Amino acid sequence: MNHAIVLAGALIAAGIALGGGAIGAAVGDGLAGNATIQGTARQPEAQARLQIIMFLIIGLVEAMYFINLALGFYFITAVASGVK
Amino acid sequence: MIFLAEVPPGTHPTVSVCSSWYCTFNYDSLISSAVAIVITLIVGFLVEFLIDYVRGLIRESVGEGGGFIVPLAMTIGFYILVANWLDFFPLAGPVHPANADLNQTLAMALVVIIVVQAYSLRVLGVGGYFRRFTKPFEMALPIRILFIPLNVIEEVVKPVTLSLRLFGNIFAGTLMVYLLGLLISYVASLVPTGLPGSAFGVVLTPTVEGLLILWKAFDIFFVGSIQAFIFTLLTIIYFGMAREGLEEEGHGTHPRPAPAAVETGG
Repeated sequence: MNHAIVLAGALIAAGIALGGGAIGAAVGDGLAGNATIQGTARQPEAQARLQIIMFLIIGLVEAMYFINLALGFYFITAVASGVK
Repeated sequence: MIFLAEVPPGTHPTVSVCSSWYCTFNYDSLISSAVAIVITLIVGFLVEFLIDYVRGLIRESVGEGGGFIVPLAMTIGFYILVANWLDFFPLAGPVHPANADLNQTLAMALVVIIVVQAYSLRVLGVGGYFRRFTKPFEMALPIRILFIPLNVIEEVVKPVTLSLRLFGNIFAGTLMVYLLGLLISYVASLVPTGLPGSAFGVVLTPTVEGLLILWKAFDIFFVGSIQAFIFTLLTIIYFGMAREGLEEEGHGTHPRPAPAAVETGG
């Protein structure tokens, strides 16, 4: 019984964490894309350089989400196997 | 078996485009030399491009004295790149992707940070090293003292985020592939076992598996490459940050380098 409650709490917590992380990553991706589009519109010849930087920023932004995902799964499995 | 040749060595299968002797080709040699040329071109192009790029970055963000960073950054970058790309193959048994282990990535990040601190001490001296922790140099002294805990936290967090970023990406990649694989069998179990259901399954399962392979290729070759690149770039940027305060003190011989192209992520 105790195990079931803890596991349910862990799953809900992981869901909330993943949802919040997804919101943040999506907003960050959008900001990076927005800035790239504006920079390209203002200076079309800089597009190649801007795109490299954009992918870099997207990698940095999405890393936060992936850390979220990995640690969420890690905690769920730890909780599920640890509490009896 | 891989060591048993189908034909004895020294005999070649040939193809002839006309009847004379000079139109006859040993096509096995042609194929293997073409493979070797393609691999050489790819590896050579990659190494040359990356070394040029890393040199330019170091010149921009560290300055002229940063030549010793090139081997470190290139070794780490190539190691992570190859280790990430190896994940694409279904490695059997206890072998799992190297960077999906926090011990592995934390070890690399700690090595980088230790060398960064040593570089900072050598370039700035002991006084300059500790002065760097009062970082907004243009502020008044009381405010700078207030900033000391923040700067200490920043230094401690650097290896943590550097390792967690790589670990999280690679581990989450393997996790996603695993979960999507579970989804395939779950979807297949939903299909009723009757005649139209099995026909449905015959079409559905290869489609979903193909999509899974596509996702895995994207995950390995795009995310893996970007993460290797980011690790290298942040290594260089940390070296650039380690010499902050050199120009303000006035005993730096180098002109202030241009600001780095990107800011560091958290």
